[in-house]
Amino acid sequence: MSDTPSERPPQSIMPKWIRGPQDFIGGIVLIAVALFALWASSDLQGMHGFTFGPGTAPRMFAVLLLGLGAAVAITGLVSDGAPLAHYSWRGPLFVMLAIVFFALAIRPLGLVVSGFASFLISAFGTPETRWIETLIVGICLTIGCALLFPYVLGLPMPLFPRFIVQ
Amino acid sequence: MADLFHNLILGFSVAVSPVNLMLCLIGALVGTLVGVLPGIGTIATVAMLLPITFGLPPVGALIMLAGIYYGAQYGGSTTSILVNIPGEATSVVTTLDGFQMAKQGRAGPALAIAAIGSFIAGCAATVLIAVLGAPMTKLALAFGPAEYFSLMVLGLIFAVVLAKGSVLKAIAMIALGILLSMVGADIETGAPRMSFNIPELAHGIEFATVAMGVFGFAEIIRNLDTGAEMDRDLVQQKITGLMPTRKDIMDSLPAIFRGTVLGSVLGILPGGGAVIASFAAYTFEKRISREPHKFGRGAIAGVAAPESANNAAAQTSFIPLLTLGIPPNAVMALMVGAMTIHGIQPGPQVMQKQPDLVWGMIASMWIGNLMLIIINLPLVGIWVRLLRVPYRLMFPSIVVFCAIGIYSINNSPVDVVLAGAFGLIGYWLVKHEFEPAPLLLGMVLGRLMEENLRRAMLISRGDWTVFLTRPLSAVLMAAAAALLVLAVLPTLRRRRDEVFVEG
Repeated sequence: MSDTPSERPPQSIMPKWIRGPQDFIGGIVLIAVALFALWASSDLQGMHGFTFGPGTAPRMFAVLLLGLGAAVAITGLVSDGAPLAHYSWRGPLFVMLAIVFFALAIRPLGLVVSGFASFLISAFGTPETRWIETLIVGICLTIGCALLFPYVLGLPMPLFPRFIVQ
Repeated sequence: MADLFHNLILGFSVAVSPVNLMLCLIGALVGTLVGVLPGIGTIATVAMLLPITFGLPPVGALIMLAGIYYGAQYGGSTTSILVNIPGEATSVVTTLDGFQMAKQGRAGPALAIAAIGSFIAGCAATVLIAVLGAPMTKLALAFGPAEYFSLMVLGLIFAVVLAKGSVLKAIAMIALGILLSMVGADIETGAPRMSFNIPELAHGIEFATVAMGVFGFAEIIRNLDTGAEMDRDLVQQKITGLMPTRKDIMDSLPAIFRGTVLGSVLGILPGGGAVIASFAAYTFEKRISREPHKFGRGAIAGVAAPESANNAAAQTSFIPLLTLGIPPNAVMALMVGAMTIHGIQPGPQVMQKQPDLVWGMIASMWIGNLMLIIINLPLVGIWVRLLRVPYRLMFPSIVVFCAIGIYSINNSPVDVVLAGAFGLIGYWLVKHEFEPAPLLLGMVLGRLMEENLRRAMLISRGDWTVFLTRPLSAVLMAAAAALLVLAVLPTLRRRRDEVFVEG
């Protein structure tokens, strides 16, 4: 990964001399990504005479991104721009949990369990969820997926947990 | 000329076989079904449905994918008109007049004209592909690595000009996309690049994974921000009278033809031709109209022109893919992915070696358009009901479906996690007003660009001026430079934004 969401900007009020915090932070993160890419590709061979090595193009574009990120950050310094947008945590957190759970569970637990559980986990993402209807829809969706993917489409994936099948 | 008919007949004989007709129909239906769901655009739809074509023979798979693509696009227009939510960038302008028409109780005619316009545009574009296919393939022979590289630069600059907001930020997104495309094994030496010994990364980051993360998951998270019950001002009136009146048809026919011509021309250019096509068609129509004040208040020409233009462009965008092997947009890149899975390398060779595949697909585009008219007009009621499903039930289903879809592409759990990570990145990008579309295009073209850049450098023995000394390449580079200058000129930017301001 060359970009991590943990590099999110702080929620605190930015100092006054940053006139466009949205651009400024955006540019800073791009610079960080570019530096990360430069570091990650530093072990690769570079130019070999006039032929490109594996590392030439990545470093070229990383430097380009570095420059562009700096330009975006400077824009945020010298001209008035949008403030930082508000981030909410509930939606991203539960949707990501559902995705990660699915990825971990699909092999050992199979489609039925992991699909249904992911459905319920992601439903936590909004306070508006009504649990009875969510359960019913979740069960229907799981049955539908269990029929659609392995049988109708013939995609190989385990349906039930390994310890039950064996 | 004889060749042309021969090719088209060959194509239709492939496309009208009962199995392929069925696949086209299913594709169009499923594509519309998913495309209608709010927050899932064409790209996410095609990415999500990609795995369902894996078990099919190559021709059938591509025909079905083409059907899904058109279905998704039409689904996007449907939501633009009925809910004022454009499925993707190409149907943004459709919301301006389409939703106004729906509010006036004329959703039926608006939907009908969108379908009819798309069909007429599709007919014209199909013929154009057939006509241009052979000469373009010859042109491709004149293309060396330097020309390929310059053409892709032109395409990327084109995408920058189209992106909303800052040109600088759009270029930064392209650079980031290209950088992402370089993760994985080096083309020439096979050396693992920036992959940190993770085997899944060593193969490179799957394009469908990024597309699904940035356009699928990110969109869901973003929608949850505003609360699941986002104010979807769904048109509540019953949709009565689908058929447009005679006056509607008279008003929109010329607009359809102008939109078709504009769209066909702009679609051939790489870099998101379909988006500019719908914008250009709308602005043009408004400018030459005798009653410009009616635009934005439910003028039917304001629906007909952009819808025909984006459909024409969507089809002619197959031309660079089939003749040069360059995917001009993200959906075409997914098509390339599907082709590679079936062992087909898109480019001039396919045209010669597998004419049944190419022409079968072209013919099936036309049939797909016809099917959209036939199936969608009666089914509008069902799509409307689908739009009434509350988002709190819809979004967990989309999450699960996307997760299963990504997993089944490579049977890889890591891909699912990666897509989730890209979902978060996409969310962050949106919060900082970075456009995800140029990022995706950079990723699409990145590998091809690097390959051709390296080859060009090798051939020219390290001489960078090769891009300016070869005439064809110089022309492309000059065009790219001119576009970039135009993009930063304030007058053009203002004009580009005025479509929205006045709307």
